[in-house]
Amino acid sequence: MQKDTIKTNKFTSVLLDVKNEALAQIVDASSIKELEELKIAYLGRNGKLTNLIKNIQNLPDNEKRQAGTLINESKNTVLDALSTQKNTYKETARDWFNASIPGEKPSVGHLHLVTQAIREITETFEKIGFVKVRYPEVEWDWYAFEALNIPENHPARDDWETFFIDTPTHPKNGSMVLTPHTSNGQVREMLRVKKPPIRMLNIAKNYRRQSDVSHYPMFHQFEGLVVDEGISITHLKGTLDYFARNFFGEDRVTRLRPHHFQFTEPSFEVDISCGVCKGKGCKLCKEGWLELGGAGMVHPTVLRNGKIDPNKYTGFAFGWGVERTYMMKAGLDIGDIRLLYSTDLKFLKQF
Amino acid sequence: MDILISDNWLKDFLKTEATTEKLVKSLSLSGPSVEQVEKIKDDHVYHIEVTTNRVDTASVYGIAREAAAILPGYGILAKLAPLKTKSKQSFSPRVKYLDVKIDPKLCQRFTAILIKDVKIKPSPEYIKKRLVAVGERPINNIVDISNYVMHEIGQPVHTFDYDKIQGAKMNLRASKKGEKLTTLDGKTHELPGNDIVIEDGDGKLIDLAGIMGGKNSAVDSKTKNVLLFVQTYNPVNIRKTYMKLAQRTEAAILFEKGLDSELVTLGIKRGIDLFVELTEGKPEKSILDIYPQTYKAKKITIELSFIETRLGIQLTKKVISKYLNLLGFETAWKGNKLEALVPSFRSGDVFLAEDILEEVARLYGYHNLPSEIMTGQIPSLLPNTSFKFEENIKNLLSGWGGIEVYTLSMVSEKDIKPGALKVKNPLGKDTSYMRTSLRPSFIRAAKDNAGEKDPFHIFEIANIYPPRKNMLPDEKMMLAGVFVNTTYRKAKGVIEALLEKLNTKIKFVVEDGEGFSASKRITLKAGSKIIGQLGTLDVGPIYYEFDINNLKEASTETASYVPIPKYPAQIEDLTLIFPPKTKVGDVINSLETVHDNLARAELRDTYKDTFTFRLWYQHPERTLENSEVETIREKVVKEVKEKFGARTKN
Repeated sequence: MQKDTIKTNKFTSVLLDVKNEALAQIVDASSIKELEELKIAYLGRNGKLTNLIKNIQNLPDNEKRQAGTLINESKNTVLDALSTQKNTYKETARDWFNASIPGEKPSVGHLHLVTQAIREITETFEKIGFVKVRYPEVEWDWYAFEALNIPENHPARDDWETFFIDTPTHPKNGSMVLTPHTSNGQVREMLRVKKPPIRMLNIAKNYRRQSDVSHYPMFHQFEGLVVDEGISITHLKGTLDYFARNFFGEDRVTRLRPHHFQFTEPSFEVDISCGVCKGKGCKLCKEGWLELGGAGMVHPTVLRNGKIDPNKYTGFAFGWGVERTYMMKAGLDIGDIRLLYSTDLKFLKQF
Repeated sequence: MDILISDNWLKDFLKTEATTEKLVKSLSLSGPSVEQVEKIKDDHVYHIEVTTNRVDTASVYGIAREAAAILPGYGILAKLAPLKTKSKQSFSPRVKYLDVKIDPKLCQRFTAILIKDVKIKPSPEYIKKRLVAVGERPINNIVDISNYVMHEIGQPVHTFDYDKIQGAKMNLRASKKGEKLTTLDGKTHELPGNDIVIEDGDGKLIDLAGIMGGKNSAVDSKTKNVLLFVQTYNPVNIRKTYMKLAQRTEAAILFEKGLDSELVTLGIKRGIDLFVELTEGKPEKSILDIYPQTYKAKKITIELSFIETRLGIQLTKKVISKYLNLLGFETAWKGNKLEALVPSFRSGDVFLAEDILEEVARLYGYHNLPSEIMTGQIPSLLPNTSFKFEENIKNLLSGWGGIEVYTLSMVSEKDIKPGALKVKNPLGKDTSYMRTSLRPSFIRAAKDNAGEKDPFHIFEIANIYPPRKNMLPDEKMMLAGVFVNTTYRKAKGVIEALLEKLNTKIKFVVEDGEGFSASKRITLKAGSKIIGQLGTLDVGPIYYEFDINNLKEASTETASYVPIPKYPAQIEDLTLIFPPKTKVGDVINSLETVHDNLARAELRDTYKDTFTFRLWYQHPERTLENSEVETIREKVVKEVKEKFGARTKN
């Protein structure tokens, strides 16, 4: 009997020791991780308390019950202590870190819309072998007009449309003007290359005497010029469709309508299918089409002025506004185009 | 030019079943572009854009003729009902009722006829309605006839009160500068000279020809006898006059495009018919017709292969002829060579084989042509361009917070160097010179953003235009920018980083310069060549600029490789105290050459005249001994002491 009692007493004291040891360690634990480890050490499959539970079966039957109650109490006490301590850590003892704080941005720069537009246009055409060039902005009348078959009395050569520079007239090249289009590059490129093939991409500043919400006296155009043997309207269409698909989107196509320019014959107005209604017709477009700009087959007089034989070679050209084309792509509606050329940071920082 | 066409009127000449929608679409794809269709009561009005070379389509009749040629290609039956006139009058170079002298350079054809006993009254309803539809205000039958004929066939027509023409004499000549004339609208013009005018027997000016009649010869409510007047004028004179006088009338707009002198025949006959019908007037038997050079149809020869190679498709000779015949060209094939006779109304815009090709192509339909990118050789790239270099700079600067701007190339007189190119016809005084530096534009940009409290950096790559004698200016691509609300060290750091990323070897030399605060400017040099400058401007912001070509020359496209040292460097900080006003840049330059094994020296910290440098001691083949480092350090201290009077802190 006594032996059994001793046994029980011993069990009880061991149990109490283990419990107190556990509680002491829980209070000392400095992290949630440590608490998790303690839980395993005491209540895990091989834990100290778990092993005591296993010992109950060695006790006399009449004491098993009492020991069971005791051990359950101890187990609950330890579990309670663990959770309490755990919460304490969660709320307070842990290093406070506010992950919701906004980041500190490096100062963010901005490339101008026109630069972004020029890059995209350049990339698109360079992929099909166009060569980027740069020609004068301040130009001789010869390259800007005369060589392009624009006669002296043509309205484009009036001084209310084109800026003239106050210098003596050159005996051969005429007056000095600010080029009103990128087409001044056509004859210059022909003279540079001498022998076709030519696939020129001329993107440059142009100037015209206009200033209102849709015009600024300085703007940009991109000009394509292709001259080779056997170049036909078919190739112009192919090139423009390629541009439409790659610049505007896979499902976009172009169409040509008759138009008139002095330096191309025939001349075309180029439309692109509307990206909103997909050509069905909507408020933004005209019967499913939007006007892109002009194009045409190079006039034989222009080829001749570029010292290229129009009987051997043919070519096409197109020249469109960079700003307008890009805004059509981006769907931007900038009420006053002059903002583009302002230095207003509130505007510039948006792009 | 934009014109208005009444559908109801159009159908007088265009016999077709085409719906409005089909008509609009076919015209736009193969001819003049219909921009808008306006529905009014029992009619439609088409807003049509006529290109400057196709003035023959700037009328109801002209559009009917185009549509009749275009619609069959879209599978729609259409026929032109020609405008028939009843007038039996003959044309004669001399008549009894009017004595006329003309300058044939100013007037290619001159016709007129006297119509007696006209009754002035309102026009019939159908005339009024049609005029209203195309934007004209009906006045009375005489005025309305002129407008009606002009809109119907595109030929301006004028009427005089015959009894106001003194001596029944007219002299059509070029005006002299300063002559005065009062037009119908009551405006008195002082003529610029070389305007086409008509004077009567008294030598008084009675007409600003082709633009507007004179007030002193105008038809009024008492007019009995009218002189009906139809001409073709020199387009250049007309244009110059109306632009200079700001008198842009519908007649002038038509004349300046160069009208077909054959159209005058139809114009005067149609006018006579309407006078008889609307005013009960009695026309004379002969029409005065001064026509020094009558029209002879041009013949253009074109090869079948020419058409095929330019279109990129094959067409039969029959189809080509059909298209051209529909458009009024007479055609004859000789083998594979086509001869086409140009109708008079196309004489102003068809000259070449290319023009004939255009007619064939548009009637075939541009939209029906295939679409294919050209094959053939790819041309070689332009050597030595700076495009990529410029884009790289833009990427780097914007990556470090720079904001790119585009500013106007034209500036005011105070912003240029003497001799800069002057714009002859600027839009304003502020934009009357081509800039010779980007600096003024950036000073303005900084000022315009004066409200900004945070630091900012704006930059641009753009041309400047230094003049050259008898040559185009030397367009120079420049990089420039300003830093505002930014310390000098931070601004300079961005430029240093840029120069490093561009793989340049550039020297910084402290030098004063115009516009910069004293001692606050550096010149950037590659060898002895100046490539740019940086500094604080008198007006405040920190400004820099580089000549892109020089900068590019000073840079290498790829960085050079330096073997990675196998042995670690010994690094230490050394604090030195300098006498006031020591240029620390010079100190660093000097440190870099003190000893081969002093690999790097950087400024870490400054406090007044105390500077802390971080020094890297390194030997390429071994680790330096402490004693060796000490030797180098002593050399450093000695050097700065001797050269700059510096002492160590302790």
